[in-house]
Amino acid sequence: MVNIKINGIEYSVEEGTTILEACRQNGIRIPTLCWLKDINAIGACRICVVEMSGARSLTAACVYPLSKFDEGKNILTHSPAVLESRKMTLQLLLSNHNMDCLACARSGNCELQALCKELGVDDSSYFEGAKNEFDIDTSSKHMYRDDNKCINCRRCVAACEKYQGIGVIGANERGFKTEISCAFGMDLANTACVSCGQCITACPTGALSEKDDTDKVWEALADPEKVVVVQTAPAVRASLGRLSVIR
Amino acid sequence: MEEANEFIDRVKNGDVLPMITSCSPGWVRYCEAYFPEFLPNLSSCKSPQQMAGAIIKTYWAKKNNIDPKNIVSVSVMPCTAKKFEIGREDQSAAGVPDVDISITTRELVKMINKAGLRFNDLPDEKFDSPLSEGSGAAVIFGATGGVMEAALRTAVWKLTGEAPDSPVEFNEVRGVEGIKFAEYNVGGTAVKVAVVSGLANAKKLLTQVKNGEVDVQFIEVMACPGGCVNGGGQVIQPAEVRNFVDIRAERAKALYSLDTARAVRKSHESPDIKEVYANFLGEPGSHTAHEVLHTSYKPSSLSK
Repeated sequence: MVNIKINGIEYSVEEGTTILEACRQNGIRIPTLCWLKDINAIGACRICVVEMSGARSLTAACVYPLSKFDEGKNILTHSPAVLESRKMTLQLLLSNHNMDCLACARSGNCELQALCKELGVDDSSYFEGAKNEFDIDTSSKHMYRDDNKCINCRRCVAACEKYQGIGVIGANERGFKTEISCAFGMDLANTACVSCGQCITACPTGALSEKDDTDKVWEALADPEKVVVVQTAPAVRASLGRLSVIR
Repeated sequence: MEEANEFIDRVKNGDVLPMITSCSPGWVRYCEAYFPEFLPNLSSCKSPQQMAGAIIKTYWAKKNNIDPKNIVSVSVMPCTAKKFEIGREDQSAAGVPDVDISITTRELVKMINKAGLRFNDLPDEKFDSPLSEGSGAAVIFGATGGVMEAALRTAVWKLTGEAPDSPVEFNEVRGVEGIKFAEYNVGGTAVKVAVVSGLANAKKLLTQVKNGEVDVQFIEVMACPGGCVNGGGQVIQPAEVRNFVDIRAERAKALYSLDTARAVRKSHESPDIKEVYANFLGEPGSHTAHEVLHTSYKPSSLSK
């Protein structure tokens, strides 16, 4: 066991527990963005940073396992320095994001949007300057990829690789130009993607979404010549029940 | 029904085993691209989406005197691969595509909201015919192990003298574990099965089967981890929820509780299924059944 303090209060946690888990076990919530349990713990987004006594810089809570060397240390999860850092990280992400929220499939259900609200981002144009402009990949039948909304968290990459063992998406280019796409920038339709959509449900933003076919259904319903028949799969009812989804 | 029958036939005739389920279009696409050597093992049964679509445009269209060309068949699916599946070859029982539009659970939510439906205030209602009331076996198709269990309910009943009190629950194939094995004694014969979800797990199991390290007769594969309940078309839960709640297990619980509450829990006992076979298909595996409910596969040019 390791004895630590979180925000000045003493806790005892098992060695190897990450700071994030230690906090969660004790009812303290640290916001995250790139972390997806079991498949993506890479400390890339810097949203979960905390202040740790003795450390020279802020520490990513999702990838820091507590050990005997941390005995007695104090971890600050919401100090002014931490809150300022999280906010600045978000503003930097927004500086290279198209912020097309009103017409976005994920508006209202976007993790980036929710964090901006939580951390009080009050000036989305704080960092002006160059922005990437990527082509939208609409090649496949089931989905599109709009990298102008991508924050490079790599959750989709991990879902494709770790859940499915497929790995048709990854990071191309480096630094500012980094883009999550297929090898050699190929269209998704020309890869061995199997259309499972696990990347979509892993995506925190509207960068990945299914192709919306509802207009076709509305059109058929309005056509007096057509008989519209509908079937539903059993699993649909198991996620539809969430009251907050349906108004 | 068709799948259980196909399995029994394969065992009796000494055809290619293990038989592998074909309900998950992500998995079928994966098999065609990454494991084409297993295509003869894939059940020739269409997926439930395509079977229902085919029945609607053949049997139901004829019964109601509607030209199948005037039917727009829409499916609501927890799945994005279903959008791909509707355009596959050999999926047009009535000479027109079995299903015309496939939308995800998320798109249905959009439609409900856009239509201004107060969904939670709507009274419960039955589906229209045909296939109005699914059996418990149909409901559990949405969870990993559910397709296997549904097939076992019917296959075991058939192989053990069609007793009405044949076993219903096969708990060994349930649960969110990525790879599951079970062995059942069916009328003196050992039936060995495996259930996988998540294609990384499918790859692991198929490699073992290929190397002769695993000996099973029947495999269920679902592309998504935990099965369709965790499909790529389902309502998106943020990481905040996913990291601390096992949505696969929670959603599966909902399906198994619906199954327990059903009076009819085996496919072959469903009055709707009986009616379609009596009036249209004849016997499972019949010539008509093959024309309407079965399909074919071919290796993908987009292999690994």
